[in-house]
Amino acid sequence: MKSNSIIGIYKDENVLLEAIDELLANNIRIYDVFSPFPLHGIFEKLKLKTRIPYATFIYGVIGTISVFAFLYWTSVVNYPLKFGGKPLNTLSFIIIMFVLTIFVATLFTFLTYFTIEKMWPGKEAKLPVPRTTSDEFAILIEKKPDMDKNELDKITRLLEKTGATEIKESEVDY
Amino acid sequence: MEKKVKVSRGFIIIVSVLVAYGIFTVIIGFTTGNTVRTWANLLLNNYYFMSVAIGAAFWLAIQYITQSGWSAQFIRIPQAMSDYLIVSFVLWTFMFFGVHHLYEWTHLEEVANDPILLHKQPYLNIPFFAIRYTLFFGLWIYFTQRIKRLSTLEDKYGGITYFKKIELNSKIFIYVFAITFSLFSIDWLMSLDPHWYSTIYAVKKFIMAFYHGATIITAIVIILYFKGYFPDMNKTHFLDFSRYIFALSIIWAYMWLSQYLLIWYANIPEETIYYVPRIMSDYKPYFYAELLINWLFPFLFLMWNRVAKNPYLLLFAVLVLIVGQWVELYMSIMPNTTNLHKITYIEIGTFIGYAGLFAGVVAWSLSRMNLIPKNHPYLMESIKHH
Repeated sequence: MKSNSIIGIYKDENVLLEAIDELLANNIRIYDVFSPFPLHGIFEKLKLKTRIPYATFIYGVIGTISVFAFLYWTSVVNYPLKFGGKPLNTLSFIIIMFVLTIFVATLFTFLTYFTIEKMWPGKEAKLPVPRTTSDEFAILIEKKPDMDKNELDKITRLLEKTGATEIKESEVDY
Repeated sequence: MEKKVKVSRGFIIIVSVLVAYGIFTVIIGFTTGNTVRTWANLLLNNYYFMSVAIGAAFWLAIQYITQSGWSAQFIRIPQAMSDYLIVSFVLWTFMFFGVHHLYEWTHLEEVANDPILLHKQPYLNIPFFAIRYTLFFGLWIYFTQRIKRLSTLEDKYGGITYFKKIELNSKIFIYVFAITFSLFSIDWLMSLDPHWYSTIYAVKKFIMAFYHGATIITAIVIILYFKGYFPDMNKTHFLDFSRYIFALSIIWAYMWLSQYLLIWYANIPEETIYYVPRIMSDYKPYFYAELLINWLFPFLFLMWNRVAKNPYLLLFAVLVLIVGQWVELYMSIMPNTTNLHKITYIEIGTFIGYAGLFAGVVAWSLSRMNLIPKNHPYLMESIKHH
């Protein structure tokens, strides 16, 4: 997705968090924030929502049921083999069910995430500010066609006021 | 910030009525010929509330050792709960009048004819049993009271030295607790069936104490929060409390399965004898209830973030888990003592009496100290927790 954006670059995480508060208080929609490490509390601040946990739960349930079905089919229906006087439909299924539930849930969550984010091994990272992987933080604000000069000035001023070390406009593609 | 919990007159009346009802039930139990059953219930409830108190003390020790910031404003609750240990020590002393009704190994003529019991006699005999009981309780009371006293001194004088002293004491305490509580569980619960043993039994009871200690702490915190005692408490604190319960429910289930599955799989008669009366009799519903209430319910219920952050729903989960621990101890004790598959006025009345006493002791203890530890080094972090 290509868009023209205003980027404010910050050097400190606390300054960045305060800047986010200030921008939000002025009704400016933040498109995205880039950071070298996960910032505590930013998820709630930007009111981001994710449905990945629901997907994980569903994968977990599907995993449990399908693993049980597989075990039941192999050791009760298709090839019933009694050993040690144990019933065919046994309690020892639980361990395999437990382990494979975790595996299925993790693997499919990972695949889902990569599909949504259009990521694959070896993909070149598209970073508007490459230094956000080392020591810089960046706030992205989308430049919409209906924004007039006043509004753009206001955004730039706010970014400056909140301590941005650098402000640039560029075409972001990601 | 000098704030203490005010105990209302209504609360004192309710507690007194509950305790009186408990005493009344016990007297009725003894006079109507249900001697063994009453002793078994006394053991159950003594163990229940002792394990909650000591589990809370362990929870507190963990907070200090990990230097947790989020819990700093709640440390008075486990401290108040561990005061119950003194009361428990006194109450438990009466149990020695009932050991002959509960423990097979106290009957010397039976031990003499039983090679297994004879082999275990150097450990399982009444004098050594009493010595261990006194020693264990003495150690627990010493450490919990010392931590509490240091915390009070910290309130008075401030500074980091008291925090470091408490941390050191906590580190010693968790080792002492692990060993003594394991042996205590073996002494009082596992030896109800002296021929049987499971090496993971004590670990399971240890996790149970930690699990339900954390649960009752959550309950008391939420009730005090509703009364307005924790103005700086927010959703993330509730989330952290429910994470404790959630994680411990999984560890508890892990221990439950570790014990059950190995015994089931090996299928050795000496070992399976423990599970035979529990599964192949009318105890069956309780057996499954134990697992479903203590594991499946919190696992599925607290998995949702929205539930975990909501104090009302969290309190509901805690109330269910109070029943869960009772069922677990019921299943540990009753099949080996009374073997009556029913819950009537004796079971309920004794529990009510003990619950009232526990609530009274905790409230009394909370009313005597500052609720918010004002000089705790992590207090600010706890208040600003997000």
